[in-house]
Parts: sequence; structure tokens; C-alpha cells
Amino acid sequence: MLRVENLTFAHPGQATPYAFSLVAHEGEVTAVSGASGSGKSTLLDLLAGFLTPSAGSIELDHSDLLPLPPEARPVSLLLQSESLFEHLSAAKNVALGLPAGTPRAEAQRQIGEALAEVGLEGIGNQLASTLSGGQKQRVALARTLLRARPVLLLDEPFSALDDETRVAVRELVRVLTIRHGWHTILVSHHADDVEALAARKYLLVEGRLESLRDTPS
Amino acid sequence: MLTLPHRPLRIAAAIALAAGIAILIVLVLWAILAAATGSEGSASRIDIPHLLRMTSIQAGLTTVLSIAVGMALAWALNRLRFPGRDLVVGLFASAIVTPGMVVAFGLLSIWGRNGWINQASEALFGFSIGNPAFGLSGILFAHVVLDGAFAARIMLARLDAIPTPRLKTGQSLGLTPWQRFAIIDWPSLRGTVPGLAAIIFLLAFTSFPIVLMLGGGPANQTLEVAIYAAVRQDFDLAGAVRLAATQIAVCSLVILAASALAPIPTSFGASTAPRWRDRGLARLLQMLVLMLCTIGFVLPLLSVLIDGLGAGIGRVVAQPAFWWATTSSLVIGTASALLTLLLALALALGRGATGNGLLRTLLGMPAFAYLAVPAVVLSLGFFLLVRQLGFAPATAAPFVVILANSLLALPFAMATLGPPLEAIARSRGKLIRSLGLSGWRQFTLVEYPLLGRDIGVMLALAFCFSLGDLGVIALFGTQDFQTLPLMMFRALGSYRGNDAAAIAAILLVGTIVAFVGLPRLFERIADAAR
Ligand SMILES: Nc1ncnc2c1ncn2[C@@H]1O[C@H](COP(=O)(O)OP(=O)(O)O)[C@@H](O)[C@H]1O
Ligand SMILES: [Mg+2]
Repeated sequence: MLRVENLTFAHPGQATPYAFSLVAHEGEVTAVSGASGSGKSTLLDLLAGFLTPSAGSIELDHSDLLPLPPEARPVSLLLQSESLFEHLSAAKNVALGLPAGTPRAEAQRQIGEALAEVGLEGIGNQLASTLSGGQKQRVALARTLLRARPVLLLDEPFSALDDETRVAVRELVRVLTIRHGWHTILVSHHADDVEALAARKYLLVEGRLESLRDTPS
Repeated sequence: MLTLPHRPLRIAAAIALAAGIAILIVLVLWAILAAATGSEGSASRIDIPHLLRMTSIQAGLTTVLSIAVGMALAWALNRLRFPGRDLVVGLFASAIVTPGMVVAFGLLSIWGRNGWINQASEALFGFSIGNPAFGLSGILFAHVVLDGAFAARIMLARLDAIPTPRLKTGQSLGLTPWQRFAIIDWPSLRGTVPGLAAIIFLLAFTSFPIVLMLGGGPANQTLEVAIYAAVRQDFDLAGAVRLAATQIAVCSLVILAASALAPIPTSFGASTAPRWRDRGLARLLQMLVLMLCTIGFVLPLLSVLIDGLGAGIGRVVAQPAFWWATTSSLVIGTASALLTLLLALALALGRGATGNGLLRTLLGMPAFAYLAVPAVVLSLGFFLLVRQLGFAPATAAPFVVILANSLLALPFAMATLGPPLEAIARSRGKLIRSLGLSGWRQFTLVEYPLLGRDIGVMLALAFCFSLGDLGVIALFGTQDFQTLPLMMFRALGSYRGNDAAAIAAILLVGTIVAFVGLPRLFERIADAAR
């Protein structure tokens, strides 16, 4: 279980600081929605280690994540854009998820498997810049599979996709989260995405996360 | 669909100016070529192929070294944060306007026969290290100090503009410092290399004051220096003219190659990316690079200030000739900067007012063509032209020097003012049209307030270029008409080293004041108009 408690942070010149508290469970998508500029990306930056909070805690299964630098956190990141390095092939992008020094043959096997799992067999040699938006996000997910980090942070990952693609990529995120037991935190301002994926929902208003219960319709 | 305000007057003015500038360059070329063909067969001992070979080697080495140094320095500056970092970045940015003479003089006073290093080494160990500031090594050193810093500034802007999400992705993947450079930095830097290389090659190929001061004779020359020597020392006008024709041909080739390459951004934005510092060896290397580059760049300039602002300065300022030279330098610098502003503004406003690609190219080409005509060649062209028209060069000298310096600064001025003006016309065109603003109100309400700092930067560039100019004044100067750089050069020639040191220091101070002060001043003035 990922437990965030009273994580406090203020941007330069911000009067009232953010104070985030939330819980995310293994194998579940936890959604955070909120108006543009409400601080959703700030929350993910804090979780990923790009920003340092002034107070509060982040614990994964009772181990403290705050002292860890971004590259050492048990966290994978999927952003709206720039998730891939465009001048590298799909396979090379995926390979960045492997530990340094993985033997070549072993790496190739794992990359092939990961690409197959996200439904992109045989595109390994294509340059990332030639892929469609949906394919790019799938490749980034394949990299996440190899990194095998228990927390997946998604910042508006479907925003740049057309409707049909977004439903397919969304479904992939749902399946992978369950299959690999990820604690997935999805930031989105699209009600559809939240409805389709989230087991647990939060709304970010005035710097606080409010837990939303499902009201039976 | 692009909406631009209708500004026929702006377009007409720009066309007229562009035509005038084009006619002028044609006349200069014609004057040189006519003299060249008229002088065929006359005996001249100048070995052009040899000169070309030597100059190309020098310029090639300068280019490779400057790009390498610039890239290492940009890499270090992008990663390291320390108090005074903005100052250091600003210092390296000033390399573009630092007069070559001043840098050359600074290198001599550190590395030269009687320089700091030799004095220390003789006092401590009893031997001298010779004079590495002289000859090819000295020329390369001076060029790399200036051009490496210039390259670093351009490349740093590229690194600072890398999108934040890309950095976050890389940092969270735990890329090593080397992977980070190869995967994130290099793809951004790669685009600047061809254009930068072409510019640096051109600067080194046409280098004049540095080669004149450090070259030490015919073994290390550029065509520029050879032209000067032919005119002023050997009175071999025919030889000079053939050299000038060669120079123009080579520069045109380099520029044609350069214009086919990727353009270089001119705007510098601050980065909001999260802090991601490299660790271990890479970080040590970055500190070392920064330290060496800062010492290499700052030490010569510091020595100029220390040597020059000492005891010798009293003797210099007591000479009436010094005050005449200072007045000439300031008047020429101010007049040519204002003329450059007028020309660049009119051309850029005209270019921004038309969506027609061909017309835009035609409006820009004459100004950029002056890149192919370096200072001594342009000066020679005007010299021949003035004689053809039946004037005495001495009478025309002040006007020609102002005009020539303006034209030489024009390509840089266009590169500074053009992009922001065009961006304004494109992004606010609809609004300006729908409000029905007149051209004048468009300028005073929209363009001028947004452009203040760019105008200041452009004026500073043009002023500093002509303040430090030696190439133009070298052919037109007389005993009665001299600027500070010419006076300094003459002082060196007659072994009055203290006088030269004092003038070098004054030139450096003037350059820094203008380069730092003018952009701020104009930003203030423009802010008041908002
Ligand atoms: N580096 C920064 N410095 C100052 N303010 C920032 C910075 N980054 C974001 N902000 C401000 O913090 C607020 C929240 O931003 P963000 O977390 O990106 O919102 P969201 O992702 O919900 O749209 C915004 O008002 C934004 O302007
Ligand atoms: Mg956001």
C-alpha cells in the first residue's frame, strides 16, 4: 500500500501550501482529478522525487520513500508527451528499463516479450518518432514492465490520443495494473478515464485531496 | 490562415533600402573586380594558394577546437549551479563583442615573452617558456577564447530549452551522466553544430586584428592581413585586389554552405526544469571544465585591466591625440549603431509585413550578403570606389568608416531584431487588424514596447563592433584621423606598450559598459512605454 500523509509543499510565491494525503492499493488504479492548475502535476512531481516537500511522508509498504532520489524511487513515470526519446528505436527506448549490464541476448528476449505484452510485436526497430501517439504510450508501458517498479504515475497519459486509441491504451493500463500488482496513480481531468479505470478517486481542490465515494447511479 | 496587417509603406521602404544596400555591395564588388582585371599581368609576389592553405588550416583547427571547448563548457554550465552563475554566463556571452585586439593583448601579457607566466617562471626556476602566445598557437588560443565562449552561449541556450518532461523521464529512468549526454543533450546540440561551425570558420578565416598582432609575419597570415599588408606596407594595390576577390569567393562559398544548414536560435529563455545534477566523475569533470574555461577567458581580460589601468594611463590621457581618438571612436560607434538600427528596423519591419516567401528572401539577402565581405575587403572596396568617384579618401573617411561599420553589423542586427518582430506580426496580426491600428500605433503600442531589450542588444552589438574595429579604420586612418584601436595598434608598432595597455583597458571597459548597459537601458525605456 502506498500511503501519502500530509505531504506539504509550496511553489515560490504560493501563499497556502499544498497538503496532500492519499492511499493507493496494489493492483488498483487510483485517480486524481481536478481543475487545470490545481496542482495535480505538482503531486506527481513530489511522488517521483523531482520536488522536495517541506513536511509529510510517502511510504510504500511501510518503507520511507522520501530520502530516495528520483532514479532510485520504486516509481515509473508516464507523461502526456516526451515519454520516449524520439531519435531512438522502440527497442532501445524499452531497453532503458533494463538494469545496466544485462546480457545482449537476454535483453533482446525481454524486450521482445515486453513489446508483445503491450501488443506491439515486431515494431522494435522502428524509430520512436515514426510511431503514432498510442504506440508511443504502449512502448513506454513496455519499458515500465522491464523496470518492474511497483508504483506507476500517469500524468494525463491519454490526453493527446484520439477516442478509439485512448480506450484501448486505457484498457491496457487497467490490465497491466492488475496483472503486475502496480499501485497506479492516474492524474486526469477526463471523467471518462476516471470512471473506466479508478477503484479509488480523489478530487484536488484548494490544495487538498478529497476522497470521493462512488454514489450508486 | 495567417493574418498580417496591411503595411504597404513598410514594405515599400524596406524594398527601397534593400535595393540601396544591394546596389552598394554591387558597386563595391565592381570596384574590386574592375581593379583586379585591370591589373592583370602586373608582377606581385603574393602566393595566394599558400595563403589559402595556411588560412584554411588555421580556421579549420579553430573551428574544431572552439566547438569542442564550447560544447564542454555548455555542458558544465548547464549542470552546475553556484552563486554568480548568471554573471559567468553573461561574461561568456560578451565574447561576441570583445575586441580581438584586447584579447590578443591580454594573451601576450600573460603568455608573452615578458608576460606574467614567464616572469614567474624566471623568478622561480630561472628559465623562460618562450612565447606560446605568438604564431599559430597564439592565434588558435585567442580564437578559441572568443569563439569557444560564443559557441558555449549558443549551445547552453539549446540545453536550457530541453523540454522539462524529457528531463523528468530521463531522470526517473536513472540515466547515467554519459547516457544523459548521448540521449538527451546530443540530439539537441547536434542541430547547432553545422551552423556554428560555418560561422566560426568564417570568423577565423577572416580574422584580422588577432592575426595581425599575434601572427608574427608572413608564416601565419589570413587574406585580410595580407590585403592590409599589400595596401599599407608594400603599396601593391594589384595584389590586394586579387586577394580581396579570392576572399569574397571563399566567404561566399562558406556562407552558401552555412545557409543550407540549420539556423541558430537567438532567443535565450530561462529554464524551469527540476534540478538534476550529475554525480561522480562527470561532476568533477564539469567543475574542471568550468574552472579552466573561466581562467582561460577571464585571465587575459583581467590582465588587460590590471596592466592598463595602472601607472601608464596618466601619460595616455595627457595626450591630445588620445582625446581626438576617443571622440572619433565614440562618434563613429554611436553613428554607426544608430544607422544600423535604422536599416535593420526598416528591413525587419518590411519583412514582417509580408507573407510572400520570395519577397522576404529578397529583402533579407542584401543585408546578409555583407557576411561575405569582411572588414578589410569592404574597406578596400570603398577605398577604390571613393577614388573612382574622384574624392580624396581622407575627406570621405569618416562617412565611409561609419557606413562600412554599419553594413558589417547589419547581418547580426537583422538576426537580433528579425525573429521577434516577425513573431509579433504573426501572433498579433489578427488582433492588430481587428482593432484597425495604424502602422505608427502598431509600432509604438505593440512592437516597440515588446522589442525594447532586443533594440538595446542590437545597438550594443553594433556599437561594440565598431568601437573595436580595426579592419575598416586600418585602410582609412591617417595621422589626423584615428580611433582608439588604431591608436593602440600604432602604439604597439612603435614599442609604446604602456600606451597600448591603457587603450586596451579603456576599450574593454567601454565594451563591457555598452554590452551590459544598453540592453538594460532600452528595456527600461520601453517598459515606460507600456
Ligand atoms: N516551477 C513552478 N514555480 C512556480 N509555480 C509553479 C511551478 N510549477 C507549477 N506552478 C504553479 O502551481 C500550480 C499547479 O501547477 P500544476 O501542478 O502543474 O497543475 P495541474 O497539473 O493540476 O494543471 C499552478 O498554478 C502553476 O502555475
Ligand atoms: Mg498538469
